[in-house]
Amino acid sequence: MAEIVLECRNLWKIYGKVVAVRDVSLGIKEGEIKVLFGPSGSGKSTLARCLAMLTKPTKGDVFLRGECLTRPGVDLNKARARIGFVFQHIWLFNHLTALGNVMLGLRRVLKMSKEEAEKRARRALREVRMEEWADHYPAQLSGGQQQRVGIARALAMDPEIIILDEPTSSLDPELTGEVIDILRELAKKGTTMLIISHEMLFNREVADEMIFFDEGRIVERGPPDHFFTMPKTDRARRFMERLIKQTARD
Amino acid sequence: MYFLFEYLHLIFSGFLTTVEVTFFGIAMGLVLGTILAIGDIYGGKIVSTLIKLYVEFFRGSPLLVQLFIFYFSIPTLLDIQIDSFTVGLIVFGLNSAAYQKGYIKGAMASIYEDQMMAALSLGLSKFQAIIYVILPQAMRLVIPAWSNEFCSLAKSTAALLIIGERELTSAGKTIAGHTWRVFETYTFIALIYFVWISAVMKALDILYEKVKIPGLEVSL
Repeated sequence: MAEIVLECRNLWKIYGKVVAVRDVSLGIKEGEIKVLFGPSGSGKSTLARCLAMLTKPTKGDVFLRGECLTRPGVDLNKARARIGFVFQHIWLFNHLTALGNVMLGLRRVLKMSKEEAEKRARRALREVRMEEWADHYPAQLSGGQQQRVGIARALAMDPEIIILDEPTSSLDPELTGEVIDILRELAKKGTTMLIISHEMLFNREVADEMIFFDEGRIVERGPPDHFFTMPKTDRARRFMERLIKQTARD
Repeated sequence: MYFLFEYLHLIFSGFLTTVEVTFFGIAMGLVLGTILAIGDIYGGKIVSTLIKLYVEFFRGSPLLVQLFIFYFSIPTLLDIQIDSFTVGLIVFGLNSAAYQKGYIKGAMASIYEDQMMAALSLGLSKFQAIIYVILPQAMRLVIPAWSNEFCSLAKSTAALLIIGERELTSAGKTIAGHTWRVFETYTFIALIYFVWISAVMKALDILYEKVKIPGLEVSL
């Protein structure tokens, strides 16, 4: 059985009186692709950020290859370098070119020489088909191109898992395709991923397991076909109906 | 106007003092102001309160009083002597830091959260994120405010004449006293201020355009 790469156990995240994530346990195995979906504001992003230790969980534990990250004294910077993260709103470094964005972590975290970092960064940009745009600044790129750089930035660090938080939801429909194509290629290569996405055709194609998330907890989980044929819970069924109608319209 | 040639050395050495104090004040203010801004954001409650007290003191009291404190009060208290030039460097540096801290903190705050999280996600430490991601962007944003700070500081250095430092305005006063040609003298002095301050402001404008992030129009 494949090893679990990233896992949370009984994870809670509470902001003041708002419970964003309640008692969630979830693990992603080597080579596995899990898709998380559910209504906006249901706590998906918060859960993703807690798993990447970008937000501190209120209660519960996060493990990276069995090593507990929620204990005091853990070098979180080192752990974060091993977990790739792609943001919904992309968040490239505005003052750096596409190449500079990808090189920053290689230079300052992995301590590569300039030449080595540049070689690896160019390779990552080639993987997302952005090599020709290496010298452009984020503001000179389209949303889809920016997000591809965002993926390259995470990819170049050679992470053990990549978490993608709605990587296409801030993009125009015509730009979504180019990002989805890249994700499909990553999936083919066996990249371990946790993807938050409502691109249902894509989800169905790549997911090993889909997880319906609502009000801070896992409502229902199963293989993709399960959701397309007979979701058990009412809430999941209604959500699926709405999504499928929407997809048909698009 | 020709009589002014006789006093060129006096004007020039006064001008040099003014320029030195201004540039030193701006530079020290930038370094200290940046440290204060970072301290205010990350330092926790106690550090942040201390920084606020510092800033309020320098922004809330007259520059002349600050000069007197460093020229008269502190030396008396510690039984030491500080020459007026050094007092100028210290006071203008500390004073400018108080103002620049505000500008830099504002600029940092405007780009802080998302860029910080993106940097952390790559495994950069908070400190690295500040150095490589936050400050390079904040410094670009701060240039227009900085140009105002320069403009105001450059003229405030005239206050040094009160504690006997021979800067540009005091040179003018000396010449006017010797020659009684008040109108020409002060007009000429004003012209020197005008020319050098305009030149530096223009240079800052050019710098601002030069370091502007392509495609991203930063507007304040």
